[in-house]
Amino acid sequence: MNICSLIVHTKPTLGPRVSVRLQTLRGVEVHGGSKEDKLIVTVEDKGETDSPVSDTMNALRDVEGVVSTILIYHYGGEESLEEMNREIN
Amino acid sequence: MKLTRREFIKSNAVAAAASVAGVALPVMNAAAVEADDGIRWDKAACRYCGTGCSVLMGVKDGKVVACQGDPDAPVNRGLNCIKGYFLPKILYGKDRLTKPLMRKKNGKFAKDGKFEAVSWDEAFKTMAEKWVAARKAKGPKGIGMFGSGQWTVWEGYAASKLLKAGFRSNSLEPNARHCMASAVGAFMRGFGIDEPMGCYDDLEHADVFVLWGANMAEMHPILWSRLTDTRLTKPGCEVHVLSTYEHRCYELADNGMVFEPQTDLAILNYIANYIIQNKAYNKAFIDKHVNFTKTPTDIGYGLRGTDPREKAAKNRAKGKLAKISFAEYAKSVEPYTLEYAAKLSKVPKDKLLKLAKVYADPNKKVSSYWTMGFNQHTRGVWVNGLCYNVHLLMGKISEPGNSPFSLTGQPSACGTAREVGTFTHRLPADLVVKKDAHCEFAEKVWKLPEGAIPRANDPILGKTLIHAVAMHRALNDGKMNCFWVMCNNNMQAAANMNDESYPGWRNPDNFIAVSDPYPTVSAQAADLILPTAMWIEKEGAYGNAERRTQFWRQQVAAPGEAKSDLWQIMEFAKYVKVEDVWPADLIAKKPAYAGKTLYDVLYANGQVDKFPAEQVTDSRGDKYDNDESAHFGFYVQKGLFEEYRLFNSAKGVPKKGHEMAEFDAYHKARGIRWPVIDGKETLWRFREGYDPHVAKGEGVRFYGKPDGRANIITAPYEPAAEPPDKAFDLWLCTGRVLEHWHSGSMTQRVPELHRAVPDAVVYMHPKDAKKRRLRNGALAKISSRRGEIVCKVDTKGRNKPPEGLVFIPWFDAGRLVNKLTLDQTDPLSKETDYKKCAVKITRA
Amino acid sequence: MSETERKNEINRRRFLGNMLKTACGVGLVGLGLGAYSKRASSMPANYIRPPGALPEEDFLGACIRCGLCVRDCPYDILLLGEVGDEVATGTPYFIARTGPCEMCEDIPCVAACPTNALDHDLKAIEDSRMGLAVVIDQENCIAFHGLRCEVCFNVCPIRNRAISLAMQHNARSGKHALFIPVVHSDACTGCGLCERACILEEAAIKIFPTHLAKGKPGKHYRLGWKEKEKAGESLVTPDAEHRYHLPEGVRYDLQGEGLIIEDEAMETPFSSNPLDTLNSGFLDR
Repeated sequence: MNICSLIVHTKPTLGPRVSVRLQTLRGVEVHGGSKEDKLIVTVEDKGETDSPVSDTMNALRDVEGVVSTILIYHYGGEESLEEMNREIN
Repeated sequence: MKLTRREFIKSNAVAAAASVAGVALPVMNAAAVEADDGIRWDKAACRYCGTGCSVLMGVKDGKVVACQGDPDAPVNRGLNCIKGYFLPKILYGKDRLTKPLMRKKNGKFAKDGKFEAVSWDEAFKTMAEKWVAARKAKGPKGIGMFGSGQWTVWEGYAASKLLKAGFRSNSLEPNARHCMASAVGAFMRGFGIDEPMGCYDDLEHADVFVLWGANMAEMHPILWSRLTDTRLTKPGCEVHVLSTYEHRCYELADNGMVFEPQTDLAILNYIANYIIQNKAYNKAFIDKHVNFTKTPTDIGYGLRGTDPREKAAKNRAKGKLAKISFAEYAKSVEPYTLEYAAKLSKVPKDKLLKLAKVYADPNKKVSSYWTMGFNQHTRGVWVNGLCYNVHLLMGKISEPGNSPFSLTGQPSACGTAREVGTFTHRLPADLVVKKDAHCEFAEKVWKLPEGAIPRANDPILGKTLIHAVAMHRALNDGKMNCFWVMCNNNMQAAANMNDESYPGWRNPDNFIAVSDPYPTVSAQAADLILPTAMWIEKEGAYGNAERRTQFWRQQVAAPGEAKSDLWQIMEFAKYVKVEDVWPADLIAKKPAYAGKTLYDVLYANGQVDKFPAEQVTDSRGDKYDNDESAHFGFYVQKGLFEEYRLFNSAKGVPKKGHEMAEFDAYHKARGIRWPVIDGKETLWRFREGYDPHVAKGEGVRFYGKPDGRANIITAPYEPAAEPPDKAFDLWLCTGRVLEHWHSGSMTQRVPELHRAVPDAVVYMHPKDAKKRRLRNGALAKISSRRGEIVCKVDTKGRNKPPEGLVFIPWFDAGRLVNKLTLDQTDPLSKETDYKKCAVKITRA
Repeated sequence: MSETERKNEINRRRFLGNMLKTACGVGLVGLGLGAYSKRASSMPANYIRPPGALPEEDFLGACIRCGLCVRDCPYDILLLGEVGDEVATGTPYFIARTGPCEMCEDIPCVAACPTNALDHDLKAIEDSRMGLAVVIDQENCIAFHGLRCEVCFNVCPIRNRAISLAMQHNARSGKHALFIPVVHSDACTGCGLCERACILEEAAIKIFPTHLAKGKPGKHYRLGWKEKEKAGESLVTPDAEHRYHLPEGVRYDLQGEGLIIEDEAMETPFSSNPLDTLNSGFLDR
């Protein structure tokens, strides 16, 4: 499975609106930054069969109001979803 | 916080992006990033009040980084007050003391020298020299130690041994003398055994709560929360509050009463009279379980003998009880009619009547709570007793919800100061030095030659008892020359600082040592300052107001060279030889002790050092240091506690009722309420079924007294020592606030608490302020016959005094209210009355 | 304290400097200033105007940026907007968390105002409405978890009226109470003493300009029980007496508990409290 975080720059003052649009995409969560028009976004998938993150990230760019996206962090692991959901403490 | 690996990775990803973008995220995500990884959690008893909340302390990399209320603790169920919320911060004040400091000039100790860092060795060598010399020159009262109800159980126990057995001196007192002595006096006179019969579960079982001179809303915040909940959820529940000024408890009061200082004596007698006049008393209970007695009257005010008020007293400090009949008792309270009580107390009649009725109603379970309003009272033992009288008349005692309950101020006033005998007249487990048999038993337990413990009236040493206030007077008079203050701030706390405390401490003949984590007012007034490891920097145990003993492990190391009070007491004992302080004939009775140090005799006695040092672990396998065990080479705390337990379990125990569980049990439990018998704790004492000491069929037995009966002790209203007059026209009452603990030496170092309540203010009635051309926020000069201080006027705040009375909290080292107070005490308990003296106020 | 003082000193000096520059080159910077003042109508939410300040639009019109209120504040809490700030340059404000209004009885800042931008009709500081305290973070305010804090309640100068404590049962612990701070807009002056005193790292109680803090109910709806209390009786005809078919030992309390099944053992022909009888004699005496 993959987990990525990105910064999505939006057109001025459109942060909140873009944020809403992004969240309709599968595996996408917005964690903040709409006020600054720099959205902190994570994209994740559940494994190879289910919507790989690269596709989603491409889709992000086409959302209305998005100026650019920057990939900051990528985690790619072989673990199953079950393993990933186990509590670590 | 539970966290899955997926969430963890995601939160890291978010944090990385956010930091690059310079975006602040909502708290939720940030918290996930700071997952509690690597924090070791362990339990401890809260450092502050007598409530005894349990807290969990989180340690990472040798530092306390987090804390929480212990959700499994029966007292507080995860809650804390605002002081408890900031517990970790009290360890990390910027000015922690890390090295012993001694006043020196030209490389030598000098009373008028400047503080210089010295080694522990130099500190103790100098101190031992002074102590041995003073003990030799001035006898057992030439030296003195002033400990604390905030000492751990074993610290108090070790100190008791050091003074009573080692130095053969009864000059040991705790600050609990200023706090609980009157309560103790009343317990002993009334029941023959110390500490409350009830427990905190009364808070859920009572129908009516009566507060007598206890501002529980601020001083016992979590108990108040429980009381409030009962008031909110139990149909018909009532709260009656009595005090000399209106405080935060009145927000909940169904019947709030502000009475003229000292007239609580009259009000309680009125209630007793009401019960008798209406024949509401429980005759069966009285016949079976109660004796009637009277106490001598006109007993003075515990002032110096030269004071005219003392000279005028007919029965100065007398307290011997004489038996009377019920009829005589009834007659003694007969003058206290509703009219008379209302006139004296200035409480409206209907309110007093309402109060009397709830006590007299056999179907209402009444719990009475009191703290310093009763205890810090020149008739403290009397007034405690008068409250028991009312409960005993009705048989409303020792059962769920029916409870006269003396709350303690300090976290271990019960567990340490009272239970292990750190008072001048006491020995462990309620034994007293007045009784030969008790001393002999203690000598046996401690493996001492006969006659080693000084008797109260010792055939050779003479009168050996000296209480806290007398200690300050003796220092002032040069009769006591060495004084060691531990775990309290007595220069700030003791009354009449200008006339007694300060001149006593700075008397050139005297050598004053203060052990403290911080440079308090006391430390600065001392000659030797010993840096101290505090609270969870050592393994400890506290006993709270409901007889609950709680242990904790050492969580972190103390800074620098700071050492625990226990280490200091035991290490200091190595610097004194038996020959220095014992006469030859005593040593001759135990020749093996010749040439030994006090440490050998008291702590390496084959008993205390019985348990080898071990790696302390908890049930999860987490490891903990124990600096004392590492230093002395044996499990010091366990050895001391197990030896203390011999006072309840050795052959020939003179008094039963103080049974404790074995050491290891306490590390597993969240406190256990004594007496502990067959591994079971005791909730309500003296009641069959609840208390294993009461045999089947007896119902109730007050087994502290030989005949199993409690004493109803009649005592009249007598006026206060220093009522206001023309020159000093206001009553001054002192006390605490929720945000600060005692003298503020810990809480004033928590920035948030300091910000919340930075300075002491004088709470006064707006009319009193206006008369003096003062208004809210103005600076006022408060003066008494002894001194003056300046603080801001508060006419709108949390405390609302009536006209004629002002209230000033004592936490503020910048406004030392004890420059004003009078060193008056209850002549019986020797406890200071901080609640009543006369002052005047002018514009500053 | 000394640091704040220094900061204020610098602020004031810089402001005077700015005034001079503005006077010399007003034509040049006029455009820029205009832009700033436009921005200022959306002041940051934590910037609070001094006591007696007129509604923002009127205030900006009336305030001549003289700085006298700042000078006369005995606690030096007032700051002046600077060029680049999100507040109109030269206008006074304070930030509650770092320097709240100490509620001087003689309101020297208002007295100092030469133009009535701070309303001289404000005679009692208790009547000022600088903003409104809001317990904004109920998730993190420790009182909502049952901890005994109440610092905001205790420091509030309009004691028990601007902030009161609502006592509730703590369902989680089962035997404690919650002491929930509740702000009352009819008494809160917005002085900010509570926000400063809040012991959290970020205050859970914050002062906001009143228009941001306060909701407004629909004009059409009334709270029935309050209207009844006001009127002293039911607004419409009192309800008729209701009677019910009930088995023996069962009552129905319409306004109170509803169905009440009496415990037979409890039912006695006289009071269970013997004092009720005994007292009557005593009291008559």
